[in-house]
Amino acid sequence: MTRLPEPVTALAAALGRLPGIGPRSAERIALHVVQSDPTAVRDLAAALTLARERVASCSICGALTESQPCPVCTDPRRDATTVCIVERALDVLSLEKSGTYRGHYHVLGGKLSPLNGVGPEDLRIAPLEQRLDRAPAREIILALGGDVEGDATAHYLARRLAGRGARISRLAQGLPAGGGLEFADELTLSRALEGRRDMAP
Amino acid sequence: MERNGSRSPRKPTDLPQRGQRRFFRGGCRGGIHSTVATGASFTQNHGVHLAELRLRDFRNYGRLDAQFTPGFHLFLGRNAQGKTNLLEAIYLLATLRSFRGVGGTHMVRHGAKGYFVGGTVVGRGPAEIRAYWSPRERKLSLNGAPVKRLADFLGTLRAVVFCSEDVQLVKGVSRVRRRFLDLLLAQTRPDYLPLLLRYTQALRMRNALLKHPLPDEEQLAGFTAELVRLGDGLSAARRELAPRFAPLAAQAFRRIASEADELGLEYHPSVKGDLAVALANSRSRERTYRTTMVGPHRDDLALRVNGQPAAQYTSEGQKRTLALALKMAQAEYMTGLHGSPPVLLIDDVMGELDATRRAGFLPLLNQSQRAGGQVFMTCTAEEWPRELGRELIRWSVDAGKLNQA
Repeated sequence: MTRLPEPVTALAAALGRLPGIGPRSAERIALHVVQSDPTAVRDLAAALTLARERVASCSICGALTESQPCPVCTDPRRDATTVCIVERALDVLSLEKSGTYRGHYHVLGGKLSPLNGVGPEDLRIAPLEQRLDRAPAREIILALGGDVEGDATAHYLARRLAGRGARISRLAQGLPAGGGLEFADELTLSRALEGRRDMAP
Repeated sequence: MERNGSRSPRKPTDLPQRGQRRFFRGGCRGGIHSTVATGASFTQNHGVHLAELRLRDFRNYGRLDAQFTPGFHLFLGRNAQGKTNLLEAIYLLATLRSFRGVGGTHMVRHGAKGYFVGGTVVGRGPAEIRAYWSPRERKLSLNGAPVKRLADFLGTLRAVVFCSEDVQLVKGVSRVRRRFLDLLLAQTRPDYLPLLLRYTQALRMRNALLKHPLPDEEQLAGFTAELVRLGDGLSAARRELAPRFAPLAAQAFRRIASEADELGLEYHPSVKGDLAVALANSRSRERTYRTTMVGPHRDDLALRVNGQPAAQYTSEGQKRTLALALKMAQAEYMTGLHGSPPVLLIDDVMGELDATRRAGFLPLLNQSQRAGGQVFMTCTAEEWPRELGRELIRWSVDAGKLNQA
């Protein structure tokens, strides 16, 4: 039986370590690469290297950025006294896409998870406190996920950050906008009911 | 979970999620379990029955294709021919787990890679279920489409099983009764299972923190807050169920108990007052035992006969009767809520009962028959109860072969 050339298997192995790519896809991509135009491949390699070299975490908020500090942290039009705490750098992009938030961010880099050995010291909480010591905030928004760990992390942060004189708030949970009730699962619906609001006539 | 005697000790409230994990290794959104509670109005007198059962490499069945009508089916055969395996397969179609409390590997035929259980359920319309399980792969489809949310699946077929291990509901530890309660709530309240799963997760996280010699109190407080919020929801659901279920159980017990014994059933929460306060007060004990000492995972269902705790003050026969009454009440509760009776799976328990107690069982069977429901019962040939036999559909089970007798 003929085997794939060693460079192809090595490439497939490297690709297979990427998120969302299984062994089959890795092999397919590797085979595609070795059969494509060398310039296209060279461009791809250059793009990969460049992206990795140019993008880093912001030294203040931890979001992905090309410049230090990131454009959000340096934008004078944004409200520096409001800090929104998120789990991952990707969450910053989601919130930015909504276009309604005009404050600053802080990326935790995860959430408390005792079963996976993630404690407060593994998250960017100490940098957050140092940052708040330097520039006190008026409001801290906890924009963490709604799973058990996310909720517990929010509780933890609310306690740890209390006493700074800042308002601490949490994102509302409930119905997705533009969706019918039939698309919401039972837990979301019951939370939406809990968090219902009065309507002005 | 119906049979608990043979279970190895596991985490306290793991029952519904195990079944899900078996088929949904991660893909399921929060594991939502649903029974459509609005069904009563338009399922009235609409019996739900299993019209076809197909097995491949399941237990001792290499291949089985059988058609069933509504009515009373009797599986007759010597011991160890595969009668109970048929009930197990039907129960699996309803709940995605075994009532024998075992995982998928136990149900795969010796030497085979995986098992397949398929069935056609006729109710409001035909529904075809296909479930395949192997250690490497699980597949579940309903009418040809892969099931993404359990909410879309559970409730297609509803079943209540009666087996001799039910006696553990009376004799066994509180976990057995908690499971019974959880299963009943999960079968009847769509929001219950997600809550239970989240509570279990929060509990495991909190216990992981408590394992440290010096737990981080602030972090603990974060998970405690979550535990309290979820725990309050669980207690509320259980507290609400108990008074509705208790009269059904008492009534069923009166019907099948030989003497005029009175069954009392009461929800015994581990924490009577505020869970947050109770958790705070138990911190010193938690330091010693390094685990969460109070909460819904320590609740119990108190069973009393004539005011005395049933586990200590009843005979073996009474315990069996009581367990049977609980299951009958479960079936009646589900019938009341959904408008159609669940499929009744009766594993050999009739043989344990004397004629009077068997007679007490008849109303439930008649009700099922009137509503176009279905009953499956196993018996060894010698002991089948003749007074039940009017319109029995008899099957002989012999070494993994099923034939209409």
